[in-house]
Amino acid sequence: MKNRCYCKWNLMSTDRSSAIAELLDIVPPFDERRKSLLLTALESREQAGATVVHESISMPHCRSILVDDFEIVLGRSKKGVGWPEEKVELVILFISPVTPKSPEEHTQLIKQFADRIKDGGAEKIFAAEDCAELAELLDLDLLDGG
Amino acid sequence: MDPNLERLISLHDLDIMIADLSRNDIRKEEEKLGLSPDEAQKELRQLRKELCNKIEKRLLARYDRLASRYGNAVVPAIQSRCSGCLTRLPTAMCSDPNRNERIRTCPTCGRIIYWAD
Repeated sequence: MKNRCYCKWNLMSTDRSSAIAELLDIVPPFDERRKSLLLTALESREQAGATVVHESISMPHCRSILVDDFEIVLGRSKKGVGWPEEKVELVILFISPVTPKSPEEHTQLIKQFADRIKDGGAEKIFAAEDCAELAELLDLDLLDGG
Repeated sequence: MDPNLERLISLHDLDIMIADLSRNDIRKEEEKLGLSPDEAQKELRQLRKELCNKIEKRLLARYDRLASRYGNAVVPAIQSRCSGCLTRLPTAMCSDPNRNERIRTCPTCGRIIYWAD
């Protein structure tokens, strides 16, 4: 079964912190408190080492006790987001829950995206024209379009 | 939410990230993507140290004790149960509208509880 994702096509934010917050905003179960704590967790990970995994693609991720299922949010930016030294045009944000199986599932998710990006995959991903196409190229089911 | 509870949740998330970066499978995938798990882990440990300085000593000691005993010191309450030991939590605790406004612990296992809803 495919993982499900949310997607925001035109990110308004131009800096890393605002872009992460903008993406967390479109996940319905997150109230303000949870969003703020998840933002802290994701920013801590970024502070420890920016997650730019390919030219123009960043992959902010963490596992957190604040989610009970995998939450994946895609964000596309035409003007680019400062991450902070490189411009990023695609953000693949994901948060995995803390369950006995989740370390393996988290690894699997990292691997899934890595496999999709490598060997020319990134070019196809950047050529996607909407959220549905983008989700499909990353082997995800789209829940909502932004 | 109680500021100390927020800090303990953040500390728990940091500890998970630090532990994840010690796992060979995660390190391998991160390295394949060009990330630097060693450096990230070092930085996260520094962030942990800074966060610990902001947490009351007695709470931090309790957190460390629980984490070393159970692996997870902070857990969400799910359907009025402690998700650590699955014990039903007292009704008065769960129905309190300000239940996240102070540090609450499971009466059975002692884990620190928060309510996500």
